[in-house]
Amino acid sequence: MPAPLISPSERDYITKSVQANLRADGRTRLDYRQIVLETGLISQTSGSARCRLGEGTDVLVGVKVEIGQVDIDSAGNRGKVVCNVECSPSASQQFEGRGADELNNELTQALERVLNGAQGGLNLEKLCIIQGQQCWVVYIDAIILDSAGNLLDAIFIATRAALFNTRVPKTIVQDLGDGQFEFELLDDVESAERIEGWDHVPIGITLNKIGSRYIIDATPLEELCTEAKLVVAVNRKGHLCGLQKSADGGIEPSLLTEMVQTAKSLGQSLIKQLDDQLEREEIDFNARRARGEHVEKLGFFAA
Amino acid sequence: MQVQFLSPVPPPPPEPQEEDGDVSMVDGESVGINPVTPGQAIATDTQGHGTYLEGSTVHSSVAGMIDRVNKLISVRPLKTRYNAEIGDIVVGRITEVAQSRWKVDVNGRQDAVLMLSSVNLPGGVQRRKSESDQLQMRTFFSEGDLLVGEVQSFYADGATALQTRTLKYCKLRNGTFTCVPPALVQRCKSHFHTLPCGVDVILGLNGYIWVSKTTEKLPKGVEGRAAEEVEAEMAYSNKNEPITDHERETIARVSNCIAALARRFMYINDSIIVYAYEASLGFAVSDLLQLQVIRAITQEASAKAAMS
Repeated sequence: MPAPLISPSERDYITKSVQANLRADGRTRLDYRQIVLETGLISQTSGSARCRLGEGTDVLVGVKVEIGQVDIDSAGNRGKVVCNVECSPSASQQFEGRGADELNNELTQALERVLNGAQGGLNLEKLCIIQGQQCWVVYIDAIILDSAGNLLDAIFIATRAALFNTRVPKTIVQDLGDGQFEFELLDDVESAERIEGWDHVPIGITLNKIGSRYIIDATPLEELCTEAKLVVAVNRKGHLCGLQKSADGGIEPSLLTEMVQTAKSLGQSLIKQLDDQLEREEIDFNARRARGEHVEKLGFFAA
Repeated sequence: MQVQFLSPVPPPPPEPQEEDGDVSMVDGESVGINPVTPGQAIATDTQGHGTYLEGSTVHSSVAGMIDRVNKLISVRPLKTRYNAEIGDIVVGRITEVAQSRWKVDVNGRQDAVLMLSSVNLPGGVQRRKSESDQLQMRTFFSEGDLLVGEVQSFYADGATALQTRTLKYCKLRNGTFTCVPPALVQRCKSHFHTLPCGVDVILGLNGYIWVSKTTEKLPKGVEGRAAEEVEAEMAYSNKNEPITDHERETIARVSNCIAALARRFMYINDSIIVYAYEASLGFAVSDLLQLQVIRAITQEASAKAAMS
């Protein structure tokens, strides 16, 4: 990716194309690029997914569940989610050295705020193994392998897909009397279950305000023209789960309501299509395995 | 809203190779193409760039084409940064304004240099550059501006020096920017093309491509000023001309066609762009981002190119 600069004439061209509802690559304002998605491609994780937007943006998310200590300051009956997003220096020249630190923090915060809050969807109480002592900690690690705009949406999509793919081993807790507990992990892979509430996990829709209109799934050049950016987190039911505004431009109140409404309906249909795709992939995978075929994930051998 | 989820597809199986090696016959002429992959043993000659020595044999360290000069063997990688050659036409983006020079991003290993003394300034082609010109360098080119220029020479450290001394080299406007791997842009007589569909294309040899609306010949001299002078001023304009929706669509279609060709690793020149454009007319512009459409139009374009 070239240096993050844009010329005044390009800015003018993009702003006017957004106004004309025909963007530089022929999409309309509310079109996504093609999304290529695959789950379960890293065997060492509890769940993983790779999401690619069109030609560029490439995000790999791995979910790992580990046993950890319950937070003392909480009620003592909740597991936790720890997110980390890292931009690989190979994705862009800007990410070299310390260049990506700020962006890493921004993306990590955005993801963590949504997933760890009350609206995060995941049933954290179910992740607690022994009250006040041990719980499952869900580590969500995202790595940006290539960047061509709209990173956050791709991270959210990949995270939801990876959580769909995640299986947590079953535990059996034994009461040893006088407040002592012990638990046992079941090795049986088949008995491992998804984290309850994965289907309520929200996804983020980034709306970029350019001129007097807004677009989704912006390319890097379009992102450079963005006056104001609004990230709207929406869950399956179309409920608003988070709102974050960045960049220095302003948004008129009437436009803001419209943007949030659009994001809600977009998000709902995006989640629906995402879930359909995930289910299709799973059914296909199981069917082929049932036939006794050797199924391998394509992973990085994909064209 | 349009959104499409896809599963990844496996790469196409390798095409069967001819038994007698890697020399294919085109029009009765033998054309040697020697693609090699990393780690492939090549020869026992002297090793050059893109190779490493293991024992006494030279192996390729990159995927690319073999370049042989007498006993020196090197491999030119397919995906690489731009290696400038003198006389190349490049499209670049200003990254920095420095002491009487601009730094230009040309997709190379380091930024190219455009000296204040190698640009055309308004008000007399041959005039000396004064101190006041140095102070207003940003009015000519400022950070982020795109320009087309020519590679003039190299510095001792390998940096490229550019020049924009003729009127065809100027600041770019009225269009959109695309980036492809530099190896795909074919070296031609001319890199400024006006396509029959009413779109101008500048194919920078560095893989940066500018697609814009065709501009009519610049205005004749106004009010006694020489046409050249007006033109020189226009060369630094940041203002876009009015662009109709139809022109916008054609520009988008052409740049999507170029992206499609690049995606399928096909060479890029004016005629193949026209073929791809003609093949794309049956599809909506936004559909040109879809993989199956990309495959269809590039196949049709390459078939047409092979026929002519």
